[in-house]
Amino acid sequence: MIDMMKSRAGSLSSALAGAMVAMALAATPASAQERTITIPGFGAKSGVLRIFGVNSEAAMNAAAEKINNEGGVKLGDGATGKFAIEYLDDRCVAEEGISVVRRIASGSAFIAVGPTCSNVAESLFGILQKKVGDASDTGLQFPIIADVAAKGGLAKISDWSFRNVPSEYEMYKTLFGWLRENHPELTKVYGGVEKDFAHSNATFGVMKKHAAAEGFELVGETEWLLADTNFSNQVRGMRRAEPEVVLVSAHPFTTCGVLKEMARQRVKPKVLVGLTSSSSIETMQGCPAEAEGIIIPTGFAPVNDEARAAAEAVAAFGGSADIHSMAAYEIMFMLKEVIETQGIVGLPETVAEDRLKMRDGLAALKRADGLLGELGRTDEGEAIKPFLFVHAQDGEWKVLHDPEN
Amino acid sequence: MLDIIDAAQAVVDGVLFGATYAIIGIGFTLIFGVMHKINMSYAAASIGGAYGSLILLQFVDAPVLAVFLAAGFCGGVIGIIVYYACFRFLPLNNPLATLMSTVGMLMLIDETISHVTTGVPLQYPAMFSNVTIDIGQFFLRGDLVFTFVLACLATVALLLLLYRTKMGIATRAVSQQQVAAQLCGIGINRVNALTFLVTGVLGGLAGALIGASIGILSPMLVLPLTVKGLIVTVIGGLGSIPGAIIAGLMVGAAENIFQFFRGVSERDIYVMLLLFAFLVFRPGGIFAPPQGRD
Repeated sequence: MIDMMKSRAGSLSSALAGAMVAMALAATPASAQERTITIPGFGAKSGVLRIFGVNSEAAMNAAAEKINNEGGVKLGDGATGKFAIEYLDDRCVAEEGISVVRRIASGSAFIAVGPTCSNVAESLFGILQKKVGDASDTGLQFPIIADVAAKGGLAKISDWSFRNVPSEYEMYKTLFGWLRENHPELTKVYGGVEKDFAHSNATFGVMKKHAAAEGFELVGETEWLLADTNFSNQVRGMRRAEPEVVLVSAHPFTTCGVLKEMARQRVKPKVLVGLTSSSSIETMQGCPAEAEGIIIPTGFAPVNDEARAAAEAVAAFGGSADIHSMAAYEIMFMLKEVIETQGIVGLPETVAEDRLKMRDGLAALKRADGLLGELGRTDEGEAIKPFLFVHAQDGEWKVLHDPEN
Repeated sequence: MLDIIDAAQAVVDGVLFGATYAIIGIGFTLIFGVMHKINMSYAAASIGGAYGSLILLQFVDAPVLAVFLAAGFCGGVIGIIVYYACFRFLPLNNPLATLMSTVGMLMLIDETISHVTTGVPLQYPAMFSNVTIDIGQFFLRGDLVFTFVLACLATVALLLLLYRTKMGIATRAVSQQQVAAQLCGIGINRVNALTFLVTGVLGGLAGALIGASIGILSPMLVLPLTVKGLIVTVIGGLGSIPGAIIAGLMVGAAENIFQFFRGVSERDIYVMLLLFAFLVFRPGGIFAPPQGRD
């Protein structure tokens, strides 16, 4: 009987001890807890545009590592969040981009970063709820912030869409103003465009508009397709026009093709202007000699310590730092700021309100720190970013002019 | 007058570039002639061979001709792999089996190239790229003329192989009448494998010539080259090597002249209409080969 009582007492004290431990654990302040906040990115990770996805993923990982090393992000319930990046492939196909985002939105993510391609962004933003709070609109209520998709005016499609892409309108406006100031003797402009790609096609219109506004005369234009390999017809027309300035609104593959043909046909304009996306390592690997001197406006160059460190960090993750990838890098810090100011919790049960807080936070974030200077945001969700002009010199992109300074 | 000169220049440039289409077409048509099957991955393998040759340049500063030969070697290796992966052990009496397997191989090669290179265009060495031959208002690109000459030499070598060697006799025998060839003691599988090896070498060389003509290699070349190769094969006549040669030059010239008159947006429409015209009015192609006794 006594043994039984002793045994029961022992069991009771064990149970009490266990309960006290459990209560102690449950009472541990949330601030001592750490959890993983997964930030999904998506873009072209296969196919010929794979380099964009690789670079964006590397940039997001580099930024996440820096944030995590500096203590992570403070969540709304006092816990500390450590970023983890998950990057998905949309193959630069609109339907796949939509499918990828729906898949992301079915989980507990409260933001997605992407896409690479403007055609994907345009379709994707179209399935989002147009106006936040509109109960009659059953569009997806999920915030997306684009890092690469560069075609103008996309963010205004939905209140849930944002971009950290520099305004090509402003960049080329400033560039042609600078050209006019520094090359008053030049008048004749010839343009070439990659006709079947949304970004290059849209930007060509911007280039022509600003060239004309600065008094340049468009003496001719030509076009080619994204996968073309023979540019003899196009460059022959260019040669006949004897332009002083040539605009090449195309991505690296056809930019290099055209520049090589221009070298063969001895077309040597005084100034070459390229598309923002061609200020990348691809152009320097494809045609460094032929691209010598080409001027391109860009939203990133390693011109200060922070930018250089960021570029090295991205390289460590297997990517290269350029106008597009470093936009993704900057986005991660913007997300950190919004999470902290809006008190985003990042738990599965709070996902709906976290998404709305993220949307509201991004819309309210009118100022943020960028690698080249302060970033702004328009009411339409577009970015106001500092930019500078680079030119190809000895196989490298070097800063030609900083309009801010 | 300038328009006539420019149009003539467009034709000449197209014919010179069309030599590369001709080699790709020969590869497609030779495989069809022997196996009566289309190898959809042929153009991809050609570009893969060219990429393979760039590995040589990683280790040694090789002369351009050596790089071209390396491309042929790599093309041959890929050709053998394609044969064993997509044809050797598949049921050849099933019309879709090899078609789908080669489509899968095309995608595999394309994605492998994209992954390994991250889609970044790579410079490809060329000979005479700075040479132009000026004839009045015309000018001929030195590298394209070299490409044309090399393509012609490769074609002559292939024809000599087919018509002057035992292997060639065996290949032609198998393409004409497989059963009779077998009864004569010709190993069908061995001939097929050798055909893939030879066409692979030719394809690798074609890939190198295309890379040299453009100056860069990119995975973006794979699909357009596949389409052009098929068009050339059909227009030339399935199984006809002379047809593939003529059709290649014709498609190259037509492409350029359509672009000259109608612009790049409509160019491909007219090339496809040319294909349809042949399919309707001359479905056997320019040189439809004589039918066998079967």
